Amino acid sequence: MGIFLAIPILSIATILQSAVISRITLLQGTADIVLLIVIAWALQKNVKTGWQWGLIGGLLVDFISGLPFGIYTIGYLLVTGLTLALQARIWRLAVLVQLFATFVGTILIHALSILVLVIRGTSLPLQDVLQTIVLPSLILNLFLAIPVYSIIRELAGLVYPEEIEI
Amino acid sequence: MALGGYIEPLTRLALAPIVAAQTWTSKQYQGFKEFVTAPRDVTVIRQQNAKLNAENARLQAQIVEIQQQLTEYEILSALLDFARAHPTHQYLGATVIGRDPSPFLHYVIINRGSDDGLRKGMPVVTQKGLAGRIAQVTARGARVELITDPSIIVNVRIQPSRSEAILTGSITGDIVLEQIPQDADVVPGNLILTSGLGGNYPPNIIVGQVTSVKSQDFALFQGASVQPVTDFSKLEIVLVITNFNPVEVAPLIPIPETP
Repeated sequence: MGIFLAIPILSIATILQSAVISRITLLQGTADIVLLIVIAWALQKNVKTGWQWGLIGGLLVDFISGLPFGIYTIGYLLVTGLTLALQARIWRLAVLVQLFATFVGTILIHALSILVLVIRGTSLPLQDVLQTIVLPSLILNLFLAIPVYSIIRELAGLVYPEEIEI
Repeated sequence: MALGGYIEPLTRLALAPIVAAQTWTSKQYQGFKEFVTAPRDVTVIRQQNAKLNAENARLQAQIVEIQQQLTEYEILSALLDFARAHPTHQYLGATVIGRDPSPFLHYVIINRGSDDGLRKGMPVVTQKGLAGRIAQVTARGARVELITDPSIIVNVRIQPSRSEAILTGSITGDIVLEQIPQDADVVPGNLILTSGLGGNYPPNIIVGQVTSVKSQDFALFQGASVQPVTDFSKLEIVLVITNFNPVEVAPLIPIPETP
């Protein structure tokens, strides 16, 4: 069931990301709503489709992004792996894991983007990049992490209702 | 006796309690009537209120829609003026439907693609001047690389000195001029136009205005900051110049022979 939900939900999120979220900037930084959804989904109890959501989310964003194909897919899959590893260890503090994975995930995806752009020969002054893109994006992502987590938890609760032992 | 007015005090005395009683009765009746009919009126008022609220919401939505149409009309009108001012080009209007999800890239996505005749490399302008060029095309959409993107290079001419220079974008969205000859007389306020060199953009499209000049005696070239004429944060509708074919210079660059 989770895998069937991934395509419509992540498609809507990707469209929102391109049409709305990318226009709401803090300096040059923007939030990454698809990343937040992928992390939040992977953190839900009973959810076994975290990897699939990471893959689908990455492919969808790669499809509309001008970065070389695969950057977001690799990035989201790495973040999903990190999230699942953290969740297995500290599953009681899912909200904290969401915040930590958002922090690491944002930096990881930005690091991948910078690496690819530098290889392509784009001039990227590190201080400007950190001040105008990475830190503002990090702030926006952390700001949205908890609301996105709450929405996805509700959704996961509908898809995978908890079993009550009698 | 009555005509003589002798009964008047008696009549007044007798009628006074009757009038008082009638007043009291009337008041009670009015109160009762209000009590009985008021709930019905409240229901009617509430219905009317709901209807008026709905009407108000509809009119508000209509106002927003009309304002949007007005803005769109103003943009289209300005685009038409631009097209009339540059009659040698053929234009295709397109709506900006999104931006690149990566904050590192200054790209926008438009709702026209190869089905509409768009090709990679076609210049994109707004009513004010140059916006960028098409970087990638799909059947129904295209990605436009804006002149603020750090990987873009535009050959430009500075007016009125007619000096040639190179315009590049940056990660912060600012655009700068590089390789301005040292002897060029460049001052803030000078206009920047495309030069047409390199064959990537048609000549004489306004790009921006010089805001500050960086000149050092020991440097080979001068540099300058440029204020673009287009507000890239508010891009809504753009024109694609469809009859301009960028020149592919790669085949002209000699490949060094390996011994």
